[in-house]
Amino acid sequence: MIEAAVADSECFQTTDGEIAIINLNSARLRSWSRFYQDPQHAGVAETVLEHEQLTAQFASDLSALGRMEAFGEQLGQLDASSPRTLVIQAQIASALHRFSDARHHLAQASLGGAPYEDVKRILLSVDQACGTNLEEVLDERRRIAAKSGQFEDRVALGALLGDLGEFEHADQTYRQALREYQDVSPFPVAHVCFQLGMLWGELVPEPELARADCWYRKAVASLPCYVRARVHLAEICSATGRAGEAEAMLRPALASGDPEASWRLADVLNAEGRFDEAALHLEAARSGFEALLDKHLLAFADHGAEFYAGSGGDPLRALELAQINLRNRSTLRAFEQTYAIALEAGETDVANEISAKATRRWGNVFAFQFSPFVQDSLETGKGAAA
Amino acid sequence: MSDHIDGPRQIGDPSADLTDLFAFTSPENPARTVLAANVFPTCGVDAIFSNAINHSIVVRRAKVAGIGDATKFETADPEIRFSCRFDGLERGAADGKPIQRGTCTMPDGQTLRFVVGDEKGAATPDGTFRVYAGMRSDPFILAWIFTGGGMRKFQNLLLNDNVLCIVVEFDTLRVLDPGKGSLFAVIAETIPIPRPGGFVGHEPPRMDWVGRPEQTNVRLNNSGLKDVDDLRDLWNQQTPFAIDEKVRPLFLQRLKDSLANYDMRDGRQDWTPTALAANAQMFVDDFMLVDVAKPITDTSHLEIEKSTLNGKAYQTGGGRTVDSNVIDILLTWIVNHDRESLEGGTTKATKPGTKNFPYFATPNLDMQTVAETVELKATPDKVWELIGQFGAAYWHPLIAEIRLTGTGPGQLRTIETIDGKQIIERLDVVDDPSRFYRYANIAGLPVSNYTGMLSVKPNGAGSSVEWRAQFLPNGPGALIAKTIVSTLFKTGLDSLKSRF
Repeated sequence: MIEAAVADSECFQTTDGEIAIINLNSARLRSWSRFYQDPQHAGVAETVLEHEQLTAQFASDLSALGRMEAFGEQLGQLDASSPRTLVIQAQIASALHRFSDARHHLAQASLGGAPYEDVKRILLSVDQACGTNLEEVLDERRRIAAKSGQFEDRVALGALLGDLGEFEHADQTYRQALREYQDVSPFPVAHVCFQLGMLWGELVPEPELARADCWYRKAVASLPCYVRARVHLAEICSATGRAGEAEAMLRPALASGDPEASWRLADVLNAEGRFDEAALHLEAARSGFEALLDKHLLAFADHGAEFYAGSGGDPLRALELAQINLRNRSTLRAFEQTYAIALEAGETDVANEISAKATRRWGNVFAFQFSPFVQDSLETGKGAAA
Repeated sequence: MSDHIDGPRQIGDPSADLTDLFAFTSPENPARTVLAANVFPTCGVDAIFSNAINHSIVVRRAKVAGIGDATKFETADPEIRFSCRFDGLERGAADGKPIQRGTCTMPDGQTLRFVVGDEKGAATPDGTFRVYAGMRSDPFILAWIFTGGGMRKFQNLLLNDNVLCIVVEFDTLRVLDPGKGSLFAVIAETIPIPRPGGFVGHEPPRMDWVGRPEQTNVRLNNSGLKDVDDLRDLWNQQTPFAIDEKVRPLFLQRLKDSLANYDMRDGRQDWTPTALAANAQMFVDDFMLVDVAKPITDTSHLEIEKSTLNGKAYQTGGGRTVDSNVIDILLTWIVNHDRESLEGGTTKATKPGTKNFPYFATPNLDMQTVAETVELKATPDKVWELIGQFGAAYWHPLIAEIRLTGTGPGQLRTIETIDGKQIIERLDVVDDPSRFYRYANIAGLPVSNYTGMLSVKPNGAGSSVEWRAQFLPNGPGALIAKTIVSTLFKTGLDSLKSRF
C-alpha cells in the first residue's frame, strides 16, 4: 500500500533541481574564496570539501574530483600534521577510492587527536566501500541509525543492507528515510531514489525493471542534471524497447562530459542502426574513460572495466581494470564483475581462481547465494544431473 | 553569526536558512516602516531563492506585561503576515541569466508580483506596500571569535558575503494602525510549501525562524558550555509566539546557563541571579520588539527590552536598522550588563546600508582567481632557493627594487616596478620545508582582499612552480585586474625557464 502510494506520486516538496544546482555552484565558489581568505578558519575547509563532493555527485562535474585532490594537497601545504587536515584528506582519498591512503590518514588523524566520532564515521564508509568487517559495520550502522534517526544514517544503512542481500530491508530503510525527510534540498531525495532504482534494477537477483524505472524517474525529476540516474534510466528504456526515450534521456547528459552518457548513447544509436553517430559517441566515451582513468584510476577502474567489457570492445583491458578494482576493494560485487569479465575474455583459469577466492571470502555471507558463483555451480550441477 | 547556519536542517538547503531580521523606519519616508529578512548565508554571486519555501515576516501587537525582574512582553492575535513565494526559473534574455519571479501576499490578502533583483521593487497600486527581493551585501558584522571560555576580537567573519534579501515596506498608519498601540513583535520564518500527494517528508515542518539576533548561535549554542546537546534544530521547529510548554523549561534553563557563562567571560559577575533569570525569561519569548511611534536608530536595538528589565520606561523604537551593530550591543548587555561598551575587531560591515529603497547595499563581487604554473627541470630545492625568499624577489624581471620592513610573517615588501609603480605586500605564512609562502597585497594593484600563494612542488625529476592569487577587483573591473595580475605572474614564471 505504502509502496503503491509512493510509486504513484510525482510530487516533490523540494527545491527545483535547476535552482539547487545554481545555488550549489554559487556557494561552492564562495566557499573557495573564504578558504583562500582565511584557510585556518573553523569549518571553511570542510565546507569546500562538502560542496565539491556534492558537485561531483549531483552536478556530474567530474572536474570536482581534481579540485578535491588539489585541495587536499593545499591543505597539506598549510598544515600537514593537523588532525583536521588529515581527516579531510581521508575523506578526499575515500571519495577517490584511494582507500589505503584514507586509512593511513585516519590512523594519523587518530594519533593526532582527531575526534573519535569523525574518524569512526569515515572509517565506517571506507570499510563499507571495501567490504571489510561488514558484520561490525552493519551493527554500527544499525546502532547509529536507531540512535540518531537522521536521514543520512538511514541511507547509509540502506546501502549496506542492499550490499548484504537484505533487499526488502534495504527498501524499507530507504523509504522510511524518504518519508521522514524534512528538508527541501533535492540532493538527498534524488540520491535515495537513485539507490532504490539500483536496488530493484541491479542488485536483486531478478531485476524488477518497472520498479527501478519508477525510482530512477523520480531521481531525474528531482534533479534533472543527475547524470547517473539518467544513464541508468536510459539503460532500462533501451532494454525494454524504448530507444527514443533512452536517447532523449541521454542527450541532455552529454554536456556533463561523463563518458558513461556517451557510451550508453552509442549503444542506443547502434541498436537503431545509426552506426556513424554511434561511432563518434563511442570514441568520445573511450577517450573520456581513458582521461578519467589516467587521473583517478582507482575511482573509475570498475566503470572502465564495464565499458571495455561492453561496447568498449577490449576484454583484456576490462579484465586488467576489474582486477585493479578488485585489489583495491574486494567486495562481492568486485569479485562478480571480475569473474564475469574473465569468463567473457576467455580467461577460464583466472575466472576459476576468482571464483575460489570469492567463495573463501564471501561464501558465508547471505548475499553470496545470489552471486554467479553459486548460480553457475547450480547450473553446472543441473547440467550434470540431466 | 546572527542566525546564519544554525542547524543541520538549514545546512541541507541553505536557501531556507534565515540569517537576519530587520525592522526600522524608512530612511526615505518616516511615515513608512521597513521589515526585511535575509536567507542563504555566504551565498556567492548567483544564488536564487528556493521555490519550495514560503518566506514570511509576521507582526503581532505587543505590550509590556511586566517590568524589572518580572519583565514580560505579551503578544496578541491577529497576525499581520507578509509571505513571499518564488517561482521556478524562466529563461533569461540576452545575458542568458535566468529570471525568477515571486509573489508577496500582504496582510490584507493583496498579492504583489515582482521580479527578483529588480531594485525598484514592486508596489501595490495604492502605494501602501512595496516589495523587493534579491541578492545584497550581508550587512552583518561578526568581529569576534568565541572560544570555549573567552572572546577574541577578529576581522568581520562575514566580510564580502552576500545574502538573499526580502524587503517589505509599507504605510505604517494604514497597515499597523499604531493608534491602537505602537509596540509590535516581529519574527521571520521559512516553511516548506506543502504539495498534495508529495511523498517526501511528512507534515511540513518549519525550516527556520528568527526573532532577536543570535538566539540560536550565541545564546542557545554557547561554545562555553561543555557536554550539552545542540538545541538549535529543536528550537527552529518551535512555533513562533507559542513555544511548546513541554520544551520551554529546557530552553529556559539553557538560556540561564548560557547567559551565566557569558556574564563571566570578562572574569567579572555583572548580573545578579534574579536579573539574569529575568533576562533569560525575556529572551525565551523570541521576537524582535519595535515601537513604530518612537525613533529607531542604529543604536536602539534591544533598548526596549533592556529598559524594561531595568525597571524603566523605554525611550526608543528598538527594532534593528541595517547598520545596527547587534553583536556588540548584545555582548555588551550579556557580558557586562552595559557597564562598558564592547567592540569587536571592526564596527563596519562590508558595505553600509543605504538611504534609499531597498536600503541594503548592492552585492559584493565574487572573488577572482589567477593561477599560473611553470614546469622546470631543476629540483624543487634549487628553485625554492631562488624564489622562496619573500623579501628577495629580484628574480622577477618586472621588479626594479624592493624595500623591506620587518622579518618573517608580517614582513612588508615595497616593490618598485621597472615602470615606476609601487606595490606593497605583506608575508602571512612561509613554510620552507614545504616550499610555500602566502602573502597579502596591501597597495599598488587594482584589487582588494588579495591573497597570493607561491609554491614549488616536485614534478618527476624536476619541479613545478605555482603562483596563485584570489582577490576582489577594485576600480577598473574584473577583466583588467585579472589581466594585470596574470601578466605579473606569467612574466615572472616565464623568466625562470631560462634560469633552470
